[in-house]
Amino acid sequence: MSTAMNFSTKSFTPRPPDKGAFPLDHFGECSAFKERFMECLRHSGYESAACRQHAMAYLECRMDRRVQLMANEPLEKLGFKDLINEKSEEKPEK
Amino acid sequence: VVPGETALAFYKAKNPTDKPIIGISTYNVIPFEAGQYFNKIQCFCFEEQRLNPQEEVDMPVFFYIDPDFVEDPKMAKVDLITLSYTFFEAKEGQKLPLPGYK
Repeated sequence: MSTAMNFSTKSFTPRPPDKGAFPLDHFGECSAFKERFMECLRHSGYESAACRQHAMAYLECRMDRRVQLMANEPLEKLGFKDLINEKSEEKPEK
Repeated sequence: VVPGETALAFYKAKNPTDKPIIGISTYNVIPFEAGQYFNKIQCFCFEEQRLNPQEEVDMPVFFYIDPDFVEDPKMAKVDLITLSYTFFEAKEGQKLPLPGYK
């Protein structure tokens, strides 16, 4: 599919996700978090960076379920390191 | 979305029939050349997912754009990347060309 002189470009083949697949949230246990996230996006003109707090809350919800919807992973490793530091500054008692 | 920053996106799927459906999805990135920079941390794809009759579910994708994206001169004019998913109905014995996963 690619021409002969393509040494420097990476070719595109569909790749599986790093951490595997999300089980489906059949019971909508985290739908409220998703709604808050979507609300935030709408208000911010769909700027992803503005809503990272909500994204983090949604993923935390998935991890906290009795039937886990997402494997427990430290949030710093998911790109939320800066938000964690903010959070621990706000709530020193937790 | 800022390259290098993790981001969350949602799709919604509905099974409008009266029978449970088992589906499996694969994805596509447009423009084609941007695909190499698209990194999925977690998504609902490549694994069979069951949707019960009339069920509607949210399907999240957690991803980031490789920060090398900003260094690539070919990507200079790209300010819109479209991610699309296609759902296939899983049939017994059917082998989709999936990337050796699971």
